[in-house]
Amino acid sequence: MRLSHGFVRGETLSCIYHGWGYAQAGNCLRIPAHPALTPPDTIRVATQPVEDGGGIIWISVGEPAAGPPRFEGLAPLRSMMVEADIAALEAVAGTKADGDLLDYTGNAPTIRLLLAPQGQARTLVHVLVAEGSSQAERIAASRAAEALRRAAEDIAHGGIAR
Amino acid sequence: MTRNAMIDEWYPVGIAGQLDAHGRKTALMGEPIEVGRGEDGNAKVTGANGRALPACIRYGHVWSSLGDPQKPLFAIPEADQPGRRLVDVGVVRVRCSPLRAVENFLDIAHFPFVHTDILGAEPHTEVQNYKVEIREDEDEVWATQVKFYQPQAAKSAEGGITTEYMYRVPAPTCSILYKTCPPRPGEWDVITLFVQPLAEDLCDVWPWMALFDDETPMTDLIHFQQTIFVQDRSILENQIPGLLPLDPGMEIPTRADLTSVAYRRWLKRHGYTYGAQLVAQ
Repeated sequence: MRLSHGFVRGETLSCIYHGWGYAQAGNCLRIPAHPALTPPDTIRVATQPVEDGGGIIWISVGEPAAGPPRFEGLAPLRSMMVEADIAALEAVAGTKADGDLLDYTGNAPTIRLLLAPQGQARTLVHVLVAEGSSQAERIAASRAAEALRRAAEDIAHGGIAR
Repeated sequence: MTRNAMIDEWYPVGIAGQLDAHGRKTALMGEPIEVGRGEDGNAKVTGANGRALPACIRYGHVWSSLGDPQKPLFAIPEADQPGRRLVDVGVVRVRCSPLRAVENFLDIAHFPFVHTDILGAEPHTEVQNYKVEIREDEDEVWATQVKFYQPQAAKSAEGGITTEYMYRVPAPTCSILYKTCPPRPGEWDVITLFVQPLAEDLCDVWPWMALFDDETPMTDLIHFQQTIFVQDRSILENQIPGLLPLDPGMEIPTRADLTSVAYRRWLKRHGYTYGAQLVAQ
């Protein structure tokens, strides 16, 4: 079970399954099934440096050389999981990704997608829109992202893009 | 590659009350099968190429096997006890190993976190010591004297009670839970988890109950059990690794997990490895 399914209470990250709580250093603080037990120091999870930049939470694997990228003029809209790889998203967008960035212009204003592959056929996508977008523009951008997802998943499942 | 011992076991493949002549297409351990009612009125199960498979009806369900079962389906004596209501809960498709589904059913430490305010609630999270054994005569895994505080143990429970449980694993993908029966002290409610392995990482789960409860509408009994199981599904579909490890690895068992430890040991001893992760020896 990934700890990302879990919950934060105070300064402790807890697992959704059995409630084991972990400190910021990754060591286990608490095993609720055995409240009197002090967890041995060997029970610990890997930790990564984390930074909040421009409304996006970044982690780095290993020691980062620089801070996370900034996207001037853009603000985060939503995140979504796509059951397709980056190639399928590129095919629908009609453009190549620049590293982990893909700009997509459908019938709505351009949105920028931050791509985080999750294994072979799944991509976690964070959607950014222009800062100061109206509510109507944000809704349109959200729908455009969903249409992109559906089309990419059609390709991934052997279908033809709509 | 040796023949998997699980081939010769019985598995649930449908609800007996829903059998019809038309038949229902499903699968068993990767093989497409069809479950229907034959001209003689009995359950009829056909495998690939139309071969006839063993079939029987028991505990509200149709049971079948791809192989040659060496013994009859396990007994649940309480199923024939007068006064019990027998509840066909239905089916829940879960994208997980059939063995993972059973293991999760044997676990109580997750109640306060996954079934919050129903089967458990903080701060009542402690799992007290209980007894676990592999009963050699019956060849079953048993956990007894399991106790847990529950805010709403059953549809018929009013307010929190400390519930006592017993667990039984009589077959690799089936478990039977005996649970304190609020309206009838001295008797046990029976809640089962019958798991149909569709593939190593996909199963249909058929919960079934035999309860002393004359009050609660059938719909509510079914909804209660479905609510609980759908909460479990969100856990089961996200477990890593997907297959059940039978050898010690990354997971850290505690005393609360002794039932799971015994279940895994029993599976390994019998070579029940369909849905299991085998580490190179």
